[in-house]
Amino acid sequence: MRFRWLAVFPLIYAALFSAVAAWLGSDPHALQSFMTDQRIVVRILSAVGCCLAVSVFARGDHLRRAWLCLGWAAVLILLRDVLRLFPPFQAGGSGGMEAQAFLSGLGILSNVALLAGIWELARSWKMAAIELPGGRAGVFAVAAVTAVLALVVAGPGALEHGRAVVAGDWGSLIFFVSAVADILSLCLITPLLLTAVSLRGGLFFWPWALVTASQVCWLLYDAAGTLAPHIAPRGFPLAEVFRGMAESYLFVAGVVQFLLIRHVRRAAG
Amino acid sequence: MTISSLAVSEQVADRLAPYIGQFNARMWVKSAARRELGLVPEDVRMEHVPALLDGLRTALSTLMGRAAADDVLLQIRREVS
Repeated sequence: MRFRWLAVFPLIYAALFSAVAAWLGSDPHALQSFMTDQRIVVRILSAVGCCLAVSVFARGDHLRRAWLCLGWAAVLILLRDVLRLFPPFQAGGSGGMEAQAFLSGLGILSNVALLAGIWELARSWKMAAIELPGGRAGVFAVAAVTAVLALVVAGPGALEHGRAVVAGDWGSLIFFVSAVADILSLCLITPLLLTAVSLRGGLFFWPWALVTASQVCWLLYDAAGTLAPHIAPRGFPLAEVFRGMAESYLFVAGVVQFLLIRHVRRAAG
Repeated sequence: MTISSLAVSEQVADRLAPYIGQFNARMWVKSAARRELGLVPEDVRMEHVPALLDGLRTALSTLMGRAAADDVLLQIRREVS
């Protein structure tokens, strides 16, 4: 089975997004509307990918639990984004503080579910006794680099929002939880990446590689604020590109997981 | 005897390799042979295959779920001779 053509999908998405965003660049209203719509689309795609992956595993399977958590994360954040389209849930809308608190709750639950899913995937190497490449020193080196990167891109935000929460600004709680979940899940890039590298040459390389790519895109999403002035034209929504790629890679990873298990069962059955 | 023994563990590893890569396939077979049978891969013989495959079940189930792992192990058992 060849999954390369599927792995190209997020790159095509990014190219198309960039072209449309550049074309709409002079019309902020149209650009905002496009970004909102495409965000819903990629959220739906990632939820579909996770559901497909869940569907090929049986209750009690380790990876079913992992994909189920990722699926819940995708559905909850999709629900939050859809609700935001309705007036009561918009900033300053008729729903008031309760509506905003509900949205924050969905965001927090989504982040926790995402972290749980990535954690379950990341610990598969240990459960399956997979030999990670590079030995202890190699694993430690990659882990250290990843942890530093995660702290650099998401640490300042976590600190800032943590201080705001301590000062009584509960509206910052969602941003604080999100930043902490980002740091932790970005640190888990190490086992995901090394598991993928260890499985190279085998078909099961693909789901791990694609989930790793998704996590790397989340890292770039967090870093977009710093990167944007250097690599993108003024006003270009670079963070949205990386967000879309992260969601698209998760979608593709779920589809590949689904196709792979079906392929294995057909070939061996 | 050594040649045919080597062939059994290699046959198992070769059938796992398309899924988990050559390196992991050999490591898994080596670990399962040592853990389940107390043998090095070179000493694995045909009568050891069921126990060896049972030893691979947990790791394989982690990556592909129990149903797919059972299918793969059944196929290997059919094919290895």
